[in-house]
Amino acid sequence: MAAILRDLLRHNAEFRIGVLLVGSVLLLSVLASFSPFPPENVYVVPPDLPPSSTYWFGTTSRGQDVFWQLTFAIRNTLLFGCIVAIISRLLALVIGLLSGYSGGWIDRALMSVNDTFIVMPLLPILVLFYFVMRDRMSWLMLALIMAGLGWAYDARLIRSVAMSLKTREFTQTSLFSGMSTRQILVQEHLPYVMPIVFSSAMNNMVWSIGLEVTLAVLGFTDINRPSIGGMIYWANQHTAMVAGVWWWIAFPTIAVVMTFVGLFLLAISTNQYIDPRSRLGRVGDVT
Amino acid sequence: MTIAPATQAGPSDSARPILTVCDLKAYYRTNHYGIKRDVKAVDGISLTVRRGEIYGLAGESSSGKTTLIKTIAGAIRPPMEVVTGSVEFAFLPGYDGLHRAPPAEVARIRWRRLSCIMQGSMNVLNPVRRIRSSFVDFAYPHIGGDRAQFEQKVVAHLARVRLEASVLDAYPRELSGGMRQRVTLALATICRPEFIIADEPTTALDVVVQKEVLGVIGGLQREIGASVMLVTHDMGVHAYLTNRLGIMYAGRLVEEAATGEIFRNPLHPYTKRLISSLPRIGDDTPRRGLEGAPPNLADPPSGCRFHPRCPLAMEVCRHQVPAMLESAPSHRVACFAVNGDDRA
Amino acid sequence: MPITWVPPFRFGIPGARMKSYLAYVARRSGQLVLVIFIGINLAYVISHASPIDPVEQSISAVTSYGNTAPDAIEQMRSSLRELYGLGGSPIEQYLAFWRRILSADFGPSLSAFPTPVATLIGRALPWTAGLLTASTVIAWGLGNLLGGLAGYYQNNRGLKAMGVIAMGLHPMPYYILALLLLIVFGFLWPVLPITGGAAMNLPQAWTLEFMMSVLQHAILPALSLILVGVGGWFLGMRSLVSNVVTEDYVAYAELAGVRPWRILSFYVMRNALVPQVTGLAMSLGGIFNGAVITEKVFGYPGVGSLLVDAVYAGDYALVLGVTTISILGVSIGVFVIDLLYPLLDPRVKVS
Repeated sequence: MAAILRDLLRHNAEFRIGVLLVGSVLLLSVLASFSPFPPENVYVVPPDLPPSSTYWFGTTSRGQDVFWQLTFAIRNTLLFGCIVAIISRLLALVIGLLSGYSGGWIDRALMSVNDTFIVMPLLPILVLFYFVMRDRMSWLMLALIMAGLGWAYDARLIRSVAMSLKTREFTQTSLFSGMSTRQILVQEHLPYVMPIVFSSAMNNMVWSIGLEVTLAVLGFTDINRPSIGGMIYWANQHTAMVAGVWWWIAFPTIAVVMTFVGLFLLAISTNQYIDPRSRLGRVGDVT
Repeated sequence: MTIAPATQAGPSDSARPILTVCDLKAYYRTNHYGIKRDVKAVDGISLTVRRGEIYGLAGESSSGKTTLIKTIAGAIRPPMEVVTGSVEFAFLPGYDGLHRAPPAEVARIRWRRLSCIMQGSMNVLNPVRRIRSSFVDFAYPHIGGDRAQFEQKVVAHLARVRLEASVLDAYPRELSGGMRQRVTLALATICRPEFIIADEPTTALDVVVQKEVLGVIGGLQREIGASVMLVTHDMGVHAYLTNRLGIMYAGRLVEEAATGEIFRNPLHPYTKRLISSLPRIGDDTPRRGLEGAPPNLADPPSGCRFHPRCPLAMEVCRHQVPAMLESAPSHRVACFAVNGDDRA
Repeated sequence: MPITWVPPFRFGIPGARMKSYLAYVARRSGQLVLVIFIGINLAYVISHASPIDPVEQSISAVTSYGNTAPDAIEQMRSSLRELYGLGGSPIEQYLAFWRRILSADFGPSLSAFPTPVATLIGRALPWTAGLLTASTVIAWGLGNLLGGLAGYYQNNRGLKAMGVIAMGLHPMPYYILALLLLIVFGFLWPVLPITGGAAMNLPQAWTLEFMMSVLQHAILPALSLILVGVGGWFLGMRSLVSNVVTEDYVAYAELAGVRPWRILSFYVMRNALVPQVTGLAMSLGGIFNGAVITEKVFGYPGVGSLLVDAVYAGDYALVLGVTTISILGVSIGVFVIDLLYPLLDPRVKVS
C-alpha cells in the first residue's frame, strides 16, 4: 500500500497535484476544531472588512470571520460528500455484483431500474423534496436521499467487472469447489472490484458535493448550517458582489474548486494506475 | 489502370532477392513509473527472400516472429523501436526500411506491392462498416477506374475464394471466422502484390477451413507469382506450403534451409528437437519435449541464447554469439557445435 | 483449388436487420415507459408523503400578504384541495393524479394565478430546449473532435495543452463557472448581456432583430454550459481514441496504406464515437441540472428559472408541473438518442 502511494507520488504529476489540493482542503477542515467562534453565531466580528492580518480572509456582511466560517463550511461539505459516497458505494456494490454475477432476469430487472435512475434528472426531484420538506430537511436526510439516488452509474461499472470476472476460470473453480454465491462475490471478486470502488468514490464525491452546492446556493438546504454553497447563498442575499465584498464569495469558491479539481485528479491518476496496460509495464519490479 | 502480374522474370530480376533483411534489431523499450525495460524481441536477424518463393518462419511463441513481421511490414509503434539494421524491398530501394522511407512512397507501395494477412483475422475488419468499404479503402486507390467496374473486379476476385457477391453488403460480425479469413485473403491479393506477409493465417480456424485457406494462399501465390513470408508455429503448415524455412529462437535466426531439408536433416539442436517432437504416422515412439522454459527476452542468456537448454552446450556457447554460417549448400546454421568454434 | 463446397449464403436480408431494429425499438420504448412511470410515481410519493400539507403552505403564503377573511380562506382551501387533487382516499388521489398528468392538466399556478401551469411551462420550454440543444450539440461535437485529435496525435503540444485545460474545466461545478462568467462579463468587461432571454423592448416575433437579440442573450448561458461540458467529452474521447488506435482493424488499415485522415475519420473516430453516444444519453440528466442553475444565474427565462422561482413563491402546482415535464423531457431526449444509436453501431442486435 505504501509502495503504491510512493510510486504514484513520485511518478504521477496528477496524483501529486491532487494530493496537494485535497490535502490543503482537508487541513482547512481540520482547523475548524480550533475556531474561536461557534459557526452559527452572527455579528461576532465587525462586518465587511477586507482580508487583513487579523481577519485573514476578511469578514462577511453578517459579522462572521470568513476564514473560520470557511473551515466549518468545508468540513461540513466534505463530510456530506463522504457519507453520500460511502452509502452509495455500498448500494452500487451490492446491486452491481449481484446483477453482474447472476445474469438472467435478475440482471435485466436490476439494470432496467438502474438505467431509470441514470436517466432521471435529479435536481428537479431534489428541489421537489425540499419544497415539501422545507425546514425539516436536514443535511443528513439530504445525504441519504442523494445516496439512494446516486448509485446507478457506478453499479453499472461494477456490474461489467463482475460479468467479466464471472467468465474467468477461477470463478468456475470456486463454483465447482462448492462456494456459495455470496462467498464467491465477497472473497473472490471483491478484491478486483475495490480499485474501481475507490476511484468511483472520488467521482461520486465530486457529483454529490456539486449537487449540494447547487442546492445550497439556491437556498434549498438547511442554510443555518455552514456549507460552501450556504456561504455563497448568504453572500448573494447580501449582494456581496455589488457591495464589493468580493472576499466573501472568492474564498469559498476557491476552496470548492480546489476540492473538485483535487478529487478529480486523484480519481484519474488512480484509474491510470489500475489500468492493466500500465500495470504490465510495472511487472517484475524488484526494489 | 490495369494491374500487371508482379513478376516479369528476367535473369537479373530473378537473381535479385525481393526482400533483404540485414542485422535487424528491434526492441520494446518501456519506462513506467521509473522502471526501464528493453525487451530484445528481434536481436540481429539477417535473411533474404527470393522472388516467387514461399519463405516460412517457424518458432515458438515469444520467439520474436511477430515483431520481425511487424518491423518488415513497417508497423512500428512505440514502445517498439528499430535499434539498428535494415529492411530493403526490391520495389522500394534506397531506404533502410519502410519506417525510414518518405510516407508518400510508402503509401504508393502499400497494398499494391506489399500486402499482409494478419493474425486474428477475426478483428482486422472495421466492425462498424460493411465489407465493401474495406475493399474501397484498401484497393480502390490502386485499381481505380469507374466504381461499377471496380465492384465487378472485386466480385470476380471474391469468387476465387468462393465467396458470394452479397458478402460486400455484410458487416464483419455477420460472417463466420472462415469467411472473414477468406475476405482477408481476397483483400490482400486483389491488387496482385509482389510480396505477401502472412502472420498465423490459419490459427483459430478449424482444420477443414485451415486446409482450404492454405490451398487458396498457395493457388493465389502461384497465379500472381508473389513471394510470401509465412509465419506460424504450426510445422504442419510449413511442411504443406513453404519452399524455404527459417527457424527462430529467442529473437535470433538459428537455422535456415529448404523446407524438405529442414525436416529431413535438421542441424541445429533446437531444430532437431522441434522436428523430432512432431508426430509421425506409423511411428509409436513417445515424443520428447524440450526441458526448461523459453528465455525472458528482457534479460536473455548471454552468448547463444539456447545454451541453457542445449544438450551440446560448450563453454564458448555461453560467451559468444554463434554466427549464421552456411554449413551445407543453401543451409545456414548458427551453432558452434555444428560449425566449429573457430575464433578468427 | 480445394473442392470443398461452400453453400451460398445470402446477406443483407432487409427483413432480418429491420426485424432486429424493431425489436430494439420495442425494448427501448419499454424502458422509456418504465422511466416515466417510476419518475412520476417518485414525484407523487415525494409530494404526498410529506408531513407538510402543500395546500396549507400555499394558504399561508397567500395570507401572509395581508388580512384575509376566514371564510375566504376556507373557500380557498377547499378549491385548492380540489385543484391539487387532495380530496378523497389515497387510492382516489393517486388515480386522480395520473388522470391529470395524462391530460397535461397541472392546474393553475399560484404565483401567477390564474394562468395555468401548462401555459407557463409552454412559454419557458422553448427557451430551455433551445439553450440545451445548442450547447449540448456544440460541447459534444467540439469536445469529441478535439479529444479525438488529441488521442490520435499524442505528441501535439497544442492538443496536450488543451488536455490540461480540460482537466481543469471538467470537474468545475456549473454554478461556479456561471458565476465566474457573470463576474467577468457583468463587472469586469460588460460587453454581453447578463440577464434575460432577449431584449425586453423587442416584440417576440421571428424578426431578424429579435433573433439577434436572442442569440446575444444566449451566449453567456450557452458558454457556461459548453465550457463545463466540453472538458468531459474531450477527456473521454481522448482516452477512447487512444484505445481504439491499438485495435487490429486500425493497424490493418495502416498496413494497407489507407490515408491517415481516412483512418482517423472512418476507423478511429467512427468507432470511438459509439460509446460517446451512449455517454451522451446518460449525461442528459446532469446537463439538465446544469441548465437549471445556469438559467437562474443569468435570469434566462427557461424552465429552470421557472422552477426556482416557483419554489420561492411556494407554488406547488408549478413545481410539480416543472418536475414532471423535466422527467418527461429528459427521458424522451434519451429515447431519441437511443433510437439513433443502432445507425452508428450495427452490432446492436436482438439478445
